[in-house]
Amino acid sequence: MVLSKNRLVVSCPTEEQILIKELVALSTTEQIRKIRALPVSFEEKKHVRLVEKIFLKICHWSVFPLYLNFIQKCNRDVYLCVLLCCLLLLQLIRRFGYSIKSISQSLQLWRGIMKEIGGKFGSSVLNYFVLLKWLLLFNIFSFLVNFGFITIPLLVSDLSPNVSPNVSFRGLELLTGAGYFNYTVMYYGSYSNETFRGLVDYDMQLAYFFTISVYMVLCGLVLIFSMASSFKKNYALADSASNSAWQLLCSWDFSITNEKAVNQRKNNLRIQLKESLSEKAHRERQTTSEQLKQYGIYFGFWLLSTGLAVGCGASIFYLCQYENEVRKSTHCCRNPEAETLLVPFVVSLMNMVIPLFFSLFNKFEHYSSQRRQIYALLFRNVLLRLSILGVLCYYWMNTVPQKFTCWEPVVGQALYRLVIVDFIFLMLGSLFGEFLSNVIGTKIQPRLGVPEFDVARNVLEIIYAQTLAWIGIYFSPLLPVIQILKFFILFYLKKVSLIHNCQPPRRSGRAAQMKTIFIFLLFIPFFVGALSIVAYTAWSLTPSEHCGPFRGLNNTFSVTGEWIDDVNKLSSTQWVVWIYQNVIKSEIFYFLITLIILVIIYIFWQLIQGRKELIVLLRKQIVNVGSNCPPE
Amino acid sequence: MGNKQTIFTAQQLDAYQMICNPTLKVNVLDHPRLFYRYRDLAPQLVPLDYTNHPDVKLPYELIGSMPELKDNPFRQRIAEVFSEDGEGNMTLDDFLDMFSVLSEMAPRDLKAYYAFKIYDFNDDDFICKSDLEKTLNKLTRNELTEDEVKMVCEKVIDEADLDNDGRLSLEDFQHMINRAPDFLSTFHIRI
Repeated sequence: MVLSKNRLVVSCPTEEQILIKELVALSTTEQIRKIRALPVSFEEKKHVRLVEKIFLKICHWSVFPLYLNFIQKCNRDVYLCVLLCCLLLLQLIRRFGYSIKSISQSLQLWRGIMKEIGGKFGSSVLNYFVLLKWLLLFNIFSFLVNFGFITIPLLVSDLSPNVSPNVSFRGLELLTGAGYFNYTVMYYGSYSNETFRGLVDYDMQLAYFFTISVYMVLCGLVLIFSMASSFKKNYALADSASNSAWQLLCSWDFSITNEKAVNQRKNNLRIQLKESLSEKAHRERQTTSEQLKQYGIYFGFWLLSTGLAVGCGASIFYLCQYENEVRKSTHCCRNPEAETLLVPFVVSLMNMVIPLFFSLFNKFEHYSSQRRQIYALLFRNVLLRLSILGVLCYYWMNTVPQKFTCWEPVVGQALYRLVIVDFIFLMLGSLFGEFLSNVIGTKIQPRLGVPEFDVARNVLEIIYAQTLAWIGIYFSPLLPVIQILKFFILFYLKKVSLIHNCQPPRRSGRAAQMKTIFIFLLFIPFFVGALSIVAYTAWSLTPSEHCGPFRGLNNTFSVTGEWIDDVNKLSSTQWVVWIYQNVIKSEIFYFLITLIILVIIYIFWQLIQGRKELIVLLRKQIVNVGSNCPPE
Repeated sequence: MGNKQTIFTAQQLDAYQMICNPTLKVNVLDHPRLFYRYRDLAPQLVPLDYTNHPDVKLPYELIGSMPELKDNPFRQRIAEVFSEDGEGNMTLDDFLDMFSVLSEMAPRDLKAYYAFKIYDFNDDDFICKSDLEKTLNKLTRNELTEDEVKMVCEKVIDEADLDNDGRLSLEDFQHMINRAPDFLSTFHIRI
């Protein structure tokens, strides 16, 4: 594939083309004067075509009066008039299209900051910020959809919630989410279950149900598509990173523009190459006893980590129970609302402290490759967070509906508190964690050096934060607002902390694979978990009887049943009813679909095996061809 | 409105698209921005009005002093590969070519082709051991010993040379690039 520069060769020009070429070289006033002075023998239509060509090629506003001139003259020829008007319109659109596009490109959120971070720290750190921006867009979309379809109809109608007179806004609501906020549109409890009669009959129940479910389904589809495309690009044929050829020829990041960063990268590359050379020189087989010892260490630490994670989950469970009993007992606390902050505080504290232990374990374990080390650490952190979240969700699904009459807002408030306290801890962690490490690393204990930006830990933190928002959307439709503010502030905070306190990661590479892993993590445990919680709530739990849009129903999903009954009454929409009864409600359909998908997966798997064999054969062929042809 | 000069005609814009590889969907809107960057390097040499196809070449020293390139260890090779005269002195077309290939949207094959040319210091259409040694020295500030340099280069040729001729051809290089998904994002200069 050889490229050569193709210069445009203009074939024998016509009279018009010569004229155009002359005109292009002139200034605009000269152009107009010359066109006006064209000989009378030029037919009017040819004249028009000439003007049109010049206009299209030059895109000048000043030729615009000529157009108008011609439009005025051509009242005898309607067709010509229409043609000119259409061309004019197209020109206007094209012009505006360009300016809108260039404005939108320059307005692209945080483009300059991303460029700066990519230039100084490389693509693996940039992945964190790209993911943060992507999740922010999810939340903005969620807010727009929820606000537009659920909140605005409620506010516009007469049924907007009114605050009872003895409750006023105190500052504590910002932290606890209860009190004054309980009576606003923030939570599920304030939404009504009526149908608004107005220009259109707007059924609040259906609106609430469908908005939330459509949003979750759309999120799922977006995640699936981006995960699949990421897998295809970055995972299918990837090579091992300890490969010298890769390190030398493919790993240099051309986008780094900072002299210090470039020098650091060069140092790192030199160290990595030396390491890989010494590995090759001194690689000896480990003896059996050493191997056993190594496996024993792995097993011990894995047991310890799993025990820690399970222990944290159990302690959160008992803490929730304790808080419940304290609330029920008569001689309660001084400030019952501040007590509700205890559980979120403990959860966030665990999420901050326990991963430090996991990093400590990692130092003793000596994994053979850096990739396995990162995966082990990630897996343990994910296990910890999932166990805590799982316990909390179990408590919310099982205990809370029995203890409260209006239980959905209670869950919403609990999630709100978790989100806020998590945010506070993220801020403190960034300020103190990275800032203190920098101070310790540079002034007190210079051997440690400037801290690296730990991409995996930070990404896991924002994935966890987003999961809380996803679980909370059903119980508190306006929670995305808090999430938007949180991510917005977090972006700037992390950027400042990064630039002042951290250095680029020492081991370069595998940024693309890590990105795939992050999207996979976002989807499989976290999003699917959140979706299952919401689905379980909608399917099995009884909505509270006195508040919320689904009051009085057996479960939320029966809203669709009622809707189908209504639709059934109209004969024109019978096909909807047919689809509902024979596709969505029937089990045979799902059984057949599953069977077909399994068969297709098996076929594709066999195809992949065949392709792998083909690759091996082709590689042998290349070697044969190379050895047959004499070198030049 | 008034007498705002156009910098490029639509014809010229189309020409640039053809020059910068027809399969590459170069963002035409980037041209004014890139043009202003080119002009900022030497405002007295580069005219504002390009409708007459002026023959302007900026010397390598100016190109190499751009903030995006000045710390890049391969800036000289990049300028040489993309310049018409092979010495690093770039016309506007060369400049646009360079940043098109190094942009996010360039296809993998195009980037692999140009990366190959950049690493091929002696321009013989093969990356041989001496090219690898020069690359290594540029990337490690000459701090590896000679033995280590030799060992690394031998290892690279061992791993990447498929047809066993002792040097890397374009196909070997492309095969390696295909298995490195990070390449598209690392062979990328943001402007």
